[in-house]
Amino acid sequence: MSDSQYIEAFTKYLLSGDPSAIEVFCENPSDIKRLAIYRNGFYKGCVDALIANYPMCEKKMGNNNFKKIAKAYVDRFPPEHGTLVGYGLDFPSFITDFINKIKLEEEEPLQSSKSLINTLNLDLKLVDIARLDYTWLMSLMSGDSKETLTIEYVNELIGQEFELTELNVKLNDSVLLVEVSTEAFSEWISLKTNHNTVEKCSPTMNSVMFWRLQGAVQARLLSIAETKLMQSLQGEGSTLGKAFDAALTVDEEFEVSDAFTACLQNELLEISIN
Amino acid sequence: MKVNSLHSPQQFLVGEHLGAGLSLKPEHLDDILVLPVKNSASDNNLWFEVHTENYFVAGGPRLAYLRAIRENYNISFHGVGGSLGADLKVMPAHTKRVKALIDEFQPSLVSEHAVWSKANGKYFADLMPLPRTQDALQSLINGIDCYQSGIGRSILIENPSNYLDFISDMDEPQFLVEAAKRSGCGLLIDINNLYISSKNTGVDALNYLKQIPAELVGEIHIAGHDPDPALGDSLLIDSHAAAVAPPVWDLLEEALNLFGHRPVLVERDANIPSFDELMNERKTAQHYLNQCQLQNNLSTLNKKVTN
Repeated sequence: MSDSQYIEAFTKYLLSGDPSAIEVFCENPSDIKRLAIYRNGFYKGCVDALIANYPMCEKKMGNNNFKKIAKAYVDRFPPEHGTLVGYGLDFPSFITDFINKIKLEEEEPLQSSKSLINTLNLDLKLVDIARLDYTWLMSLMSGDSKETLTIEYVNELIGQEFELTELNVKLNDSVLLVEVSTEAFSEWISLKTNHNTVEKCSPTMNSVMFWRLQGAVQARLLSIAETKLMQSLQGEGSTLGKAFDAALTVDEEFEVSDAFTACLQNELLEISIN
Repeated sequence: MKVNSLHSPQQFLVGEHLGAGLSLKPEHLDDILVLPVKNSASDNNLWFEVHTENYFVAGGPRLAYLRAIRENYNISFHGVGGSLGADLKVMPAHTKRVKALIDEFQPSLVSEHAVWSKANGKYFADLMPLPRTQDALQSLINGIDCYQSGIGRSILIENPSNYLDFISDMDEPQFLVEAAKRSGCGLLIDINNLYISSKNTGVDALNYLKQIPAELVGEIHIAGHDPDPALGDSLLIDSHAAAVAPPVWDLLEEALNLFGHRPVLVERDANIPSFDELMNERKTAQHYLNQCQLQNNLSTLNKKVTN
């Protein structure tokens, strides 16, 4: 039997737990149960990675419940690349599908499935918490800024009488926006900071911005105008003038200079070549 | 492209100046950064090993810490996701990332495992065993060639922990030595893995070591293991979650006697103790290396006197 047949049989075992195909390759069939070490190692590695990548989600659900849904995720979306860094991109949408599926089952008069949502501590807020976890992780691991727009440089430009509104800028790679419910963000913060009370947020705020400052990831809710500003500066970016105009169109009282100063202090902006 | 013709066996001894090293764990980063800088040179060349794939990130504190540590210490890249034994079509994308790290950090040693972990577009995130057949040997050699070509330098491949035997044409030393000779790679002998395999599958550990040509060995690993929760000591698990066991230290001594002074890594990946505790284990490993060095020096002196 060939090497490829062996790999195929082993793969089948890892994915299904059925050792019948790999058995013929074992020297001593009585040792077949020992194969479980490899399968357990595979699942443990993946589930531990999901715990590391979705820490607040795990905290909210509890370790045992999280492991159950994480294992189901590994079955559905096994890793594809030779690293577990960043594994779990589809986990939030997987939770959504999982909850919706259970809700459909709930329509049937089955008490056991009805209790599953409560048992696993699942609600749609969990999906937002998962999205916050993953965005935080992506911000942490994003590329380092190369051309940060500093206060010193801006002062220099002002000294040269450069029209700042014409300056092309963009957000650095660590600045990421995610739209979640304000309740979910408040709960995520309280989980992260171990505060038991969940603060109420203004309903006018709908986006959360993550960014990395001196190695640590920061997070805050944005107003609608702030969201417009940041969205204008995503990707290739824009001139400062156009970005601030976008914010002013949704809030004519938007404080442009305060926002610009905050952007500089938090090292959010890069000079854009375009 | 085969790279075996580009590398002589002496290439694997590039890390010979290294003493005993430690796995670099996030829990210990701050402890390491406050060590007196003179430690690196004077404390018998302390060095650190990282799992290469953990640094597949674009930026941020993980890389920043590694850069800070690299300023004062030698490092080694130990791959766990290369899947040398299967699924080579995805290897170039993997080695491209490894090479980028190598180019930046210039590690003293680069190693991988003589196993497989990828098939049909899936990554199984563990070290899966290869049967020791001619067919699997050729696959492994192809994988090593592909990896070495991708990163532009030779690597060391590590012997696996075995929990059961698969139908094979040859024993493990033959398999690994043949792979090394035909691909131009060197060997990383994991003494804990060997001890585990000896207990789990009955292989004679000392005889195993004697079959490995010293000139192929570029690094040695030692680590802790645990008994299987259900089967106890009849099945040992390569957990890296405990201190190095006494029989593993004994086997290390035998290995150093056979191979001579080689970089020795104390691995720890779970149940992480304090940095001081790990440094004490490292001190024991360094003691064995110092003994080995002393014996080498005395042997050289004897030869000079005799001549």
